[in-house]
Amino acid sequence: MVYNTLSKKRQHYPSCYAMSFYLSLSIKISMNIFWLMMMLFSMLVLLITNPSAMLEEMIGASTSALSLVVELCAVYVVWLGFIELIDASGLAEKLAKLLRPLIKKIFKVDNEETQKLIALNLSANMLGVGNASTPLGIKAVSALDDHTGKANFAMIMLIVINATSIQLLPTTVIGLRASAGSSAPADIILPTLIVTVTTTVIGILLVHGIEKLRKKIKERKK
Amino acid sequence: MSAYILPILFILLILYCIYKRINTYDTFVKGASGAIKLVFDIFPFIASIMIAVALLRASGITDWLTEILSPIFTALGVPPELTELVLLRPFTGSGSYALLEDVLSTYGADSYISRCACVIMGCSETIFYVATIYLSKTKVKRLFYAIPVALLCSIIGTILACLLCKVM
Repeated sequence: MVYNTLSKKRQHYPSCYAMSFYLSLSIKISMNIFWLMMMLFSMLVLLITNPSAMLEEMIGASTSALSLVVELCAVYVVWLGFIELIDASGLAEKLAKLLRPLIKKIFKVDNEETQKLIALNLSANMLGVGNASTPLGIKAVSALDDHTGKANFAMIMLIVINATSIQLLPTTVIGLRASAGSSAPADIILPTLIVTVTTTVIGILLVHGIEKLRKKIKERKK
Repeated sequence: MSAYILPILFILLILYCIYKRINTYDTFVKGASGAIKLVFDIFPFIASIMIAVALLRASGITDWLTEILSPIFTALGVPPELTELVLLRPFTGSGSYALLEDVLSTYGADSYISRCACVIMGCSETIFYVATIYLSKTKVKRLFYAIPVALLCSIIGTILACLLCKVM
């Protein structure tokens, strides 16, 4: 009996090391490296195929980024104004109180102000108003920042949940379908809801699982 | 129907503010004044990622990737017509919406491919954009496993979306 469990443990080790190796590989993927790879590869290809287009493309892209930012500024004025009203009227506090137990469990955050920002960000996401959720997300992540230069557990969780975000009302997509002449533009609501709930649950479980694994690896190293 | 939800929420909010005796004008201005500063701060991040995506598309790497990956997508049950949409979605919001409009007008709004495309758009997010913008006010450089996990979730979502559209 004892021997059996021992050998089982031994069999378990190699896979554990492979996991930790894979994990440390994926940890190294940071925004810096990713951007560098995208730039370098496409620049090398462009050098051969169409060198004169390179600068033109870059300036064109930053021009469209500028016009996007101008548009976003107008949108943010509206949303930040209303968000301030939501905050000042105490509705944000009520919403946060409602979602607090859930947020505490998922994000492991105790600060009430941060919990409020996360609650607002997630609600805006669920209603399909991505433009309102972005400034809230920026504020929430800044509040979570511990100035170590590394993303912490709650930040990673917030980014993953924002990426999979549960959609109660995919407003933009419904609008596009309606203008393309669909007979029932809203019939994508249910499949979208099912898919987003599933991926959100998977995302939360994955982040929690990986965090536990990382803690175990750290303890083993010590 | 869904066109009424946001306007009604706005009106209810204003009414609630009146009930709570809040100086709505002052409060709205106070909130809105943060917009320019915010946009000013995130502009370099938006521009950098858009430059990289523009070069990636201009160099034809996205076309190659589309060609290489579409058999894999077909094996996973995702229509090969949607490969480019799925590939570009994590990087660019406006670009992927333009592609969605293309799909809708080419295949008809009620076709299987169009419905798949709509659900995929609804359940995925411009992950790289969100990650860079959210972290723009902090000094965080290391994202650890956030992006791999988020990408994995959207791949699962994409496959599930195409499955569900067949049934529903």
